[in-house]
Amino acid sequence: MFDILRDNWTLLLIGQYPHGPLGGIVLTILLSLSALIIAFPLGILVALARISPLRALHAPATALVYMVRGIPLLMVIFWVYFLVPVLTGYPVTGFVTMLCALVIYDSAYLGEIIRAGIEGLPKGQTEASRALGMSYMKTMRAVVLPQALYNVVPSMVTQFVSTIKETSLGYIINVQEISFAADQINNRLLTKPFPVYLILALSYFALCYALTQLAQYLERRVTFKRAGAVAKTQKGDELSLAEPLASEN
Amino acid sequence: MIRFSSVNKWYGEYQALVDVNAEVRRGEVVVVCGPSGSGKSTLIRTVNRLEEINRGQIFFDGQDIHDKKLGLNAYRSRVGFVFQQFNLFPHLSVLDNITLSPMRVHGLKRVEAERKAEDLLSRVGLSNKARAYPAQLSGGQQQRVAIARALAMDPPAMLFDEPTSALDPEMVGEVLNVMKSLAQEGMTMMCVTHEMGFAREVADRVWFMDAGKILEIAEPEEFFVRPKHARAQRFLSDLRTH
Repeated sequence: MFDILRDNWTLLLIGQYPHGPLGGIVLTILLSLSALIIAFPLGILVALARISPLRALHAPATALVYMVRGIPLLMVIFWVYFLVPVLTGYPVTGFVTMLCALVIYDSAYLGEIIRAGIEGLPKGQTEASRALGMSYMKTMRAVVLPQALYNVVPSMVTQFVSTIKETSLGYIINVQEISFAADQINNRLLTKPFPVYLILALSYFALCYALTQLAQYLERRVTFKRAGAVAKTQKGDELSLAEPLASEN
Repeated sequence: MIRFSSVNKWYGEYQALVDVNAEVRRGEVVVVCGPSGSGKSTLIRTVNRLEEINRGQIFFDGQDIHDKKLGLNAYRSRVGFVFQQFNLFPHLSVLDNITLSPMRVHGLKRVEAERKAEDLLSRVGLSNKARAYPAQLSGGQQQRVAIARALAMDPPAMLFDEPTSALDPEMVGEVLNVMKSLAQEGMTMMCVTHEMGFAREVADRVWFMDAGKILEIAEPEEFFVRPKHARAQRFLSDLRTH
């Protein structure tokens, strides 16, 4: 396994660059990061639209969520791959196709996760904020979203990690990310599929694990600040708000 | 100051408020009491439109609060509301809880808002808790912060919805004392409460409600000693015998 790594590490890391497009792990990271940076704020908008009383917002958001939940990501990728050039008149690169598909897919799922967070907050929070004279939008930005987003960090991190793994489907449309690179190596070597795909699995695991650790670190810092060093459980290094707040019963 | 004119409210088939006609005068302290389910909380929540009414009108400072031209948010900022469950914002410090709305709604600068907040905190006896978070405070302290938060908007009237009902008995006193001093300063107050001692001491008038109707309006001494309505008599004797 190590000789395979030694011989092919540049392909795995950055693809055929500079003799070809950027690829490998770097492309995987780039693709997932770009998709998440766009999908996260869009997810918030989808969530707000889903709970909006305005039909003009509620209906399209609901349609998006139902459609995306109803078909596999592979189908979304194909649809984007064939539809976007027709709609825009320009050919699109595999990277852009994957980016669009991931953004559509993940903003729908993130929207539902964030909606769960918003609807899970005690009604008293919104009531108290509105009673002070804060508008709907001010209430959302200052009171509801900070709490809702914090509450659904576990679900959101799961979705973020899922995005990293979803990039592997780019393989189907020749996006040179790490699955594609591993496949290329395997096709060349032919007799060593197991070590090659083990390297692939370990690469994904390393990426996903790093993201999970980062999220856990951030969550711990916010919890610590909010509970004021009073709440510490006995479980390992996981901190959680041990007592429900008196204002939330 | 707050006038209810033929106010009716239904939840589906169930009528929660039945033809309510009453007025809270400027500078007056009104205590609304009655058995559970009598509509007291519903009534007080209609004042800042946390609940909507189906028929009738409510006037605040002479203005119809259901007028389409009324800015709902601006109106709500003039009516302070204190909840039974405190509803402090747990992700913000005590100081930020109090300064949030003055800064966002009244446009105060942070320095001014914090000065005002510190002033209010000392009024409610919690100057040393400015940087604490709600989770670190007791129930009585949280409720006092909630009162300070409502006062930060300089409302001409304050509404209290069972402010001490969720507190341990030993903390009820500290909250009632804050409310008493507010009353002495001439604040117009409408309180839904079971604290009859507070009502006797501070209220200018007591409204007794049952099944959505105001059955009796009287001054505290008259109400507690010589209630006229049979239901009120039964309510007060139930209170005494436990």
